Amino acid sequence: MNPFVHIAAFLTVLLAAGAETQGEIRFPPPEFETGYQFPETTTPAPQAVWREYLDAGVLVFALLLASHLVFVRRSRRAAFVLMIAALLYFGFVRDGCICPIGAIQNVTLTVFDSSYAIPIAAAVFFVVPLVFTLFCGRVFCGAVCPLGAIQDAVLIHPVTVPRWLESGLRLLAYAYLGAAVLFAATGSAFIICRYDPFVGFFRMGGNWNILLVGVCLLLIGLFIGRPYCRFLCPYGVILRNLSRLSKRRVTITPSECIQCRLCENACPFGAIREPTGDWPEGEYKIAKRRLALFLVLLPILPAGGAWGGYASRGQLARVNPRVRTAERVYLEETGQVEGTTDVSDAFRATGQTTQVLYADATEIRDRFGVGGALLGGFVGLIAGGKLVVLSVRRRRTEYEADPASCLACARCYRACPKEHERIKKNKEAAARHR
Amino acid sequence: MTQETKQLNIWYQSARTTAVVGAVFAGLFTVLLVVNLFGSAVLGPSRETRLAAMQHQAQKDPTNETLLSEVRRLDLKIRQDRLWRLDFAERTAFALLGSVIVLLIAGKIAYDLGKEPPRPQHGTTDRGEMQVREGRQARWAVAGGLAVLAVGMTLLGMMGHVRFAQAQDAEPPFASMQDKQGQWPRFRGPGGAGVSAYANIATSWNGKTGEGILWKTAVPMPGRNSPVVWKDRVFLVGADPNARKVYCFDARSGRLQWTGDVPTVPVEEPLELMEDTGYAACTAATDGRRIYAIFPTGDVAAFDFNGRRLWHKNLGMPDSAYGYAASLETYEKLVIIQYDQGDGSEGKSKVIALDGTNGRVAWETKRDLPNSWSSPVVVEVEGKPQLITVADPNVVAYNPADGKEIWRAECLGGDVAPSPIYAGGLILAIEPYAQLVGIKPTGQGDVSKTHVVWKMEEGGPDICSPVSDGTYVYLLESADLLICCRIEDGHKLYEQKIKGDFRASPSIVGDKLYILDMKGVMRIAQVGPEYKELGKCELGEECFASPAFADGRMYIRGVEHLYCIGKAQ
Repeated sequence: MNPFVHIAAFLTVLLAAGAETQGEIRFPPPEFETGYQFPETTTPAPQAVWREYLDAGVLVFALLLASHLVFVRRSRRAAFVLMIAALLYFGFVRDGCICPIGAIQNVTLTVFDSSYAIPIAAAVFFVVPLVFTLFCGRVFCGAVCPLGAIQDAVLIHPVTVPRWLESGLRLLAYAYLGAAVLFAATGSAFIICRYDPFVGFFRMGGNWNILLVGVCLLLIGLFIGRPYCRFLCPYGVILRNLSRLSKRRVTITPSECIQCRLCENACPFGAIREPTGDWPEGEYKIAKRRLALFLVLLPILPAGGAWGGYASRGQLARVNPRVRTAERVYLEETGQVEGTTDVSDAFRATGQTTQVLYADATEIRDRFGVGGALLGGFVGLIAGGKLVVLSVRRRRTEYEADPASCLACARCYRACPKEHERIKKNKEAAARHR
Repeated sequence: MTQETKQLNIWYQSARTTAVVGAVFAGLFTVLLVVNLFGSAVLGPSRETRLAAMQHQAQKDPTNETLLSEVRRLDLKIRQDRLWRLDFAERTAFALLGSVIVLLIAGKIAYDLGKEPPRPQHGTTDRGEMQVREGRQARWAVAGGLAVLAVGMTLLGMMGHVRFAQAQDAEPPFASMQDKQGQWPRFRGPGGAGVSAYANIATSWNGKTGEGILWKTAVPMPGRNSPVVWKDRVFLVGADPNARKVYCFDARSGRLQWTGDVPTVPVEEPLELMEDTGYAACTAATDGRRIYAIFPTGDVAAFDFNGRRLWHKNLGMPDSAYGYAASLETYEKLVIIQYDQGDGSEGKSKVIALDGTNGRVAWETKRDLPNSWSSPVVVEVEGKPQLITVADPNVVAYNPADGKEIWRAECLGGDVAPSPIYAGGLILAIEPYAQLVGIKPTGQGDVSKTHVVWKMEEGGPDICSPVSDGTYVYLLESADLLICCRIEDGHKLYEQKIKGDFRASPSIVGDKLYILDMKGVMRIAQVGPEYKELGKCELGEECFASPAFADGRMYIRGVEHLYCIGKAQ
């Protein structure tokens, strides 16, 4: 089937979403002639607590089921059905909120702002997938996450992303995680939610630009498995590293590997690692020198990153609405710009003094100085660590799923002839019982 | 699957045909959406421009009925058209989504059925060399990614930012302690002492005849909080289960200048409170720039003196047995809230300082004390400020700037409602029905055994706070008893039965003691070691709140009215 058909199909989704966004355009209320009293603005009632418990219960149940399907039944088909069900419930029924990815920010804000009380659902959604990852790998990514599911559902013609490109692109997810934590810690913005590329689909409407990003990701996702999960997802970064410690891991073969190489291209997410071979002569010496160099660089890269992050504090702080307001008001007050904006008008309407506004903005910038340095240092440390890890020789004798990259989707099982043998034996045993 | 097998496989053929049908429908719906979008984008604005022009013309010629009806017709048409298009877009979008889903599912099945199965790989690969190559490429990719991020950060750093040059002569965001001394900025005035800075307060009036009453204004909503006075403004708070208001009255005329609404967060079960505290028990407080109010729902809000709400915050519904009733205190630009809750074992109680300019938490100190109803006070001890709080069983002093504990004395018990005062060099705290305690506030850490100077264990008020002139301290029990003690050693000097029930705390004006009962009768007595009643004045309205004092004026809140008592200037 020509993949361009799918591209055309998704362009139509884009248009559909665009049409939906029209619904957000407001036009002025009618001009009533006499005595009409506009109804008072009311605040919608909060979500009932039982819904939070229900969501948490569904999440735990889905994770248990996913673990069973992937590790015990080893069934891709059942895992796929569960994934679609999770997409429908957590995505379309619950409007993509709340999800563990965004919950990173709730948890961060709880740590840094004592006046913020984290919703129960956010805390559960953040913690439970982490716990499951420690025991069963990334079953959340494979079968429960609605963001992963929507990408997985459109994956039709997977192409292999070169491993080197994957290594480079993965840095983006670390930077995104660091930035999300920084902006949440400073109370500036929940960027993961604001720039969630798929929530617009779940809600059938939203910001045009974000929808466009979502459409682009889905178009890429037709050929490259789960691009958001692999190269951007900040929660995926945490799960990736936790799943290295996972007690139970996906094994392609149910018994022993016969080195048939049938599974080599079975994973659309590039998670299957082949057995290693001997390095060419002379490479060991070069590798040792290289490793020494990267170990020397290891403290230098975070330091450089910290300096860069600190130097960027002024721009990073502009994400904070208070800082933006202060800058705009200052430019207006000092005659550097003409006219006023809604924001500066609203500020003046509060009656607060500009002195207080500027003091607040300066304080926030100072916090961004520290936070920016930590962010830069974190990214530098990750890059340095990656360079070191990529310089160390690995030894593998079998084809195996990389625990960090494996999304526990159960696709690779069917590629193994030993798996077919197992299924056949199971069927025969079942027939004998009957 | 070979080409021939594909043609024979009925599932493959069906999936492919379904995918094509899905694609055709998707295309059709797309065209419809595009046409609809075109209609909205092109036709809509032109008609709206025409309508605007007609409206403009109608404003100039308001008697032109033909034009007006044309405006109405076009306005209706535009709205109908817009709604129709929105409805159409919604339906078509759903249909399109359905078609796309069909297309995807069928396409996916067709792809899976049509793809070649994996075959065993032949030949060998030099894996070692390949891995070395891949490792090298990956390192370059990481280095490249790092370089991109570094360039991005450098560019951000080079962009610079606006630097704020502070205006040096700007007004500070709060009034000084000296400014506050001449005002009545909180419950029972500066330091919560209940002592008027002015001695020229009326000693006779009559609410029924109007004698001595400068003005009397109805207060729209009920509340047992007391007036707060700042120059020519008097502030009160009112609330019921459905609404929370802050009122500002003109101190010269009594005119209600503005009413501020305080929102709340929706809750599953509405708050039910006992009558003695009610929905507006807490007295507001001002730092001379803004007025702050707190309610038993946990809502705190700040207004400027023109009635604009600056911020609002919900602290969470307090767990208070009789309903939250502690009034606010201010220190510099901080609003201080004694938020004691629960039984003390759940870690719910805390003292919170909010930045008055923006409502953010400046500091928060947890305390292992149960719910209390007394208000915190900031006093100056040896030139340094201390925030004094009382609750069962501790009197605790904090640094109001950062919330760090300075000292604590374990000496109280029961449901503590009376607020502490600082007089004669001692912090005076009350345990209801039991005792009055004098503590020297110069210690550090646990001062229970070192700085509790004396205890007067012959009773103590359950609601009303004490008042002192620095030599004597007066305790008013809510039933009918006034007790006078010597500050020096806590010795009880007299006990006087006074007919009536009391909720308002006593006040001192010059050398006179003002005692207001619930029926609105104010008794004026001589400050001294013996009880000597100087006069009695009737307001003619029930009173629960403590009076507030300004230069030559006294403000009393009745259950329905706010009274200003004094002589016309």
